[in-house]
Amino acid sequence: MAKRPDPTKADTAMDSRRRTILKALGLAGAMCPFSGMTLAEEPAKPAKSGHVTDAPVANAASSDDKVPVYGPHQAGITTARPANGMIASFDVVADTPDDLERLLRKLTERIAFLATGGPVAELDPRLPPPDSGIVGPVVRPDALTITASLGASLFEDRPWLAPLRPKQLTRMTRFPNDALDRQICHGDLALQICANTQDTTIHALRDIIKNCPGQLVLKWKQEGNVPAILPGPDGMVESARNFLGFRDGSANPNAGDEALMNRLVWVGADRGEPDWAAGGSYQVVRIIRNFVERWDRTPLGEQERIMGRVKTSGAPLDKRDGHEFQAPDYGSDPEGKLTPLDAHIRLANPRTAETEDNLILRRPFNYSNGVTKSGQLDQGLLFICYQADLERGFVTVQRRLDGEPLEEYIKPVGGGFFYTLPGIRDASDYLGSSLVAAVRARASQPMPG
Amino acid sequence: MSAMRWVTAALLTVVLGGAAIARDTTLDLVEPIAEYKIYVTEKLDKLVEDTKIFTDAVKAGDVAKAKALFAPTRLSYEAIEPIAELFSDLDQAIDSRADDHEKGEADPGFTGFHRIEYGLWVKNSTAELVPFADKLMNDVTELRKRITDLALPPEKVVGGAAVLMEEVAATKISGEEDRYSHTDLWDFRGNFDGAYKIVELVRPLIAEKEAEFVKKVEANFARVNAILDKYKEGAGYMSYEKLTEADRKVLAVAVNTLAEDLSTLRAKLGLD
Repeated sequence: MAKRPDPTKADTAMDSRRRTILKALGLAGAMCPFSGMTLAEEPAKPAKSGHVTDAPVANAASSDDKVPVYGPHQAGITTARPANGMIASFDVVADTPDDLERLLRKLTERIAFLATGGPVAELDPRLPPPDSGIVGPVVRPDALTITASLGASLFEDRPWLAPLRPKQLTRMTRFPNDALDRQICHGDLALQICANTQDTTIHALRDIIKNCPGQLVLKWKQEGNVPAILPGPDGMVESARNFLGFRDGSANPNAGDEALMNRLVWVGADRGEPDWAAGGSYQVVRIIRNFVERWDRTPLGEQERIMGRVKTSGAPLDKRDGHEFQAPDYGSDPEGKLTPLDAHIRLANPRTAETEDNLILRRPFNYSNGVTKSGQLDQGLLFICYQADLERGFVTVQRRLDGEPLEEYIKPVGGGFFYTLPGIRDASDYLGSSLVAAVRARASQPMPG
Repeated sequence: MSAMRWVTAALLTVVLGGAAIARDTTLDLVEPIAEYKIYVTEKLDKLVEDTKIFTDAVKAGDVAKAKALFAPTRLSYEAIEPIAELFSDLDQAIDSRADDHEKGEADPGFTGFHRIEYGLWVKNSTAELVPFADKLMNDVTELRKRITDLALPPEKVVGGAAVLMEEVAATKISGEEDRYSHTDLWDFRGNFDGAYKIVELVRPLIAEKEAEFVKKVEANFARVNAILDKYKEGAGYMSYEKLTEADRKVLAVAVNTLAEDLSTLRAKLGLD
């Protein structure tokens, strides 16, 4: 059983909080309590906590792991993060509402098949095979999730769609430390594809490309992964490390807490967003290059002061002998003697009542691409986060981080802002059906005046 | 037809939802292939003729004339590229790009149309181009000779329609083919004409059985033509840099869909 307190609460409130969570989890049997993910095998595996940034548990993943496709929200957001993830961004060719509906229905059909698995069709060998075959003749679900999100350009370029744009959805803005490469930015449609193995994510991408040639043009993609690690002797599942060697996600809000997710992640009726958007979320993708050679030549003490955590354990600097899930007490350290005021975790999450609303649900992956022209490693973080309010979430957090000492070692080079569609309710529904219905409803309204 | 084959055909009909695959149509292909051979021969004659005028202009040091003749000369080559590519040594010599060679533009193996294009547009000069002009002329003449003696394999001819689309999809839509002159839309014209010619020749064999397929393929060729027409200028096409992002996307999806669909053409004609 993974034990971890809710990092959004102060230490004092934590013990009771943790007991509540543990109780809620029960001595969980075969179900992951927060994601609904069915574990494939016997419950001997450590159960997961509600933290999507926990490292995947080593030796626990199975190709039969299945994440339900249907529900009020799309899979792949509060779902436990598997070892592999990818963002693929596309241009969309859809001139009419019918075109858009056809694309969304086709995507839904492919997602439902890929996430459920099954045998692929056999055709005459003189024809190209209908499936790439890279995972064999029977597709296994392998914990696959495909999460579809729309970019601002999809709305802006189409007069019939423009009035229905989620109100905070814009083309990703440039932040001071960014060096954005237009080849790996933005897009009409972003697919987040996650699974236990890389072959499964690649298979899914190739399936979608093959099935939607008339409407999707691949623009860019970035793959990443996170290390699977064995739980500690006490059953504790740790947060995965990023390529700076630090644990990443210790303070992530508990994705198993439905009320918290409704407040921080899911767009509800009270946000002034178009009605069709209810159940969706704002997705931010950032490809953040890490200058790892330089980082590796930085003294350990300085690395820890820049991040605000002990590198080995992930404990906050004011609890050096503690563990990563303990909350730092900034109130007792107003001058930043223990945790510098400009330490990454202190700026990102100052842990005050006022900054509670700025919490975001992070679900990042590490990436390793190759070698730069200068002979350095092209590595970094495929940062992905979700929030109900883009401005109060990522944008506010990033503004606080602007100018942080960590900037010397990182450079955001790509990504985009997207709106993650509401869930597919059931087998009769399709992705984005509420959006298409809203387009049709507008078209049938008489023009005002 | 044996009972076994009837069973196979019936099974295929089930698997493909009614789109039964033609069998024993190889004989029916004799005429289209013969006609295609004539088409290829005409294109080769035109290529040799045009290349002579083009390379003469290069050798005469007439940069402006050589630039004007570059794209139209290539048209005939682009239309029959899948057949020309049967001779990979000549295709390399005639149509390879700088990045096909380890040392790029400076590589001694970089010859042919794009080497001359590089000289004309980047150096704005025909100096150093005379040996490349002579070699190009020899190579296209040799290509015509070899293809004249060649019996065209049906699967290469029919498969050529898809090959042309794959080439556009993989390495041309980006504008990297004619990177110095930006005359890519001329090449597209040649590629699409060459692919459409093949479809046109075999269409009577599948028009009835594959009516939906034929309709869809025709519609995508029409989509491509409509876009190319928007960029017509004089006898040819505007710079590829003028192509809008929106039109590039539509070209890309039309080409990708044609590539997917035409990849089934061989099977639809009963070819392996």
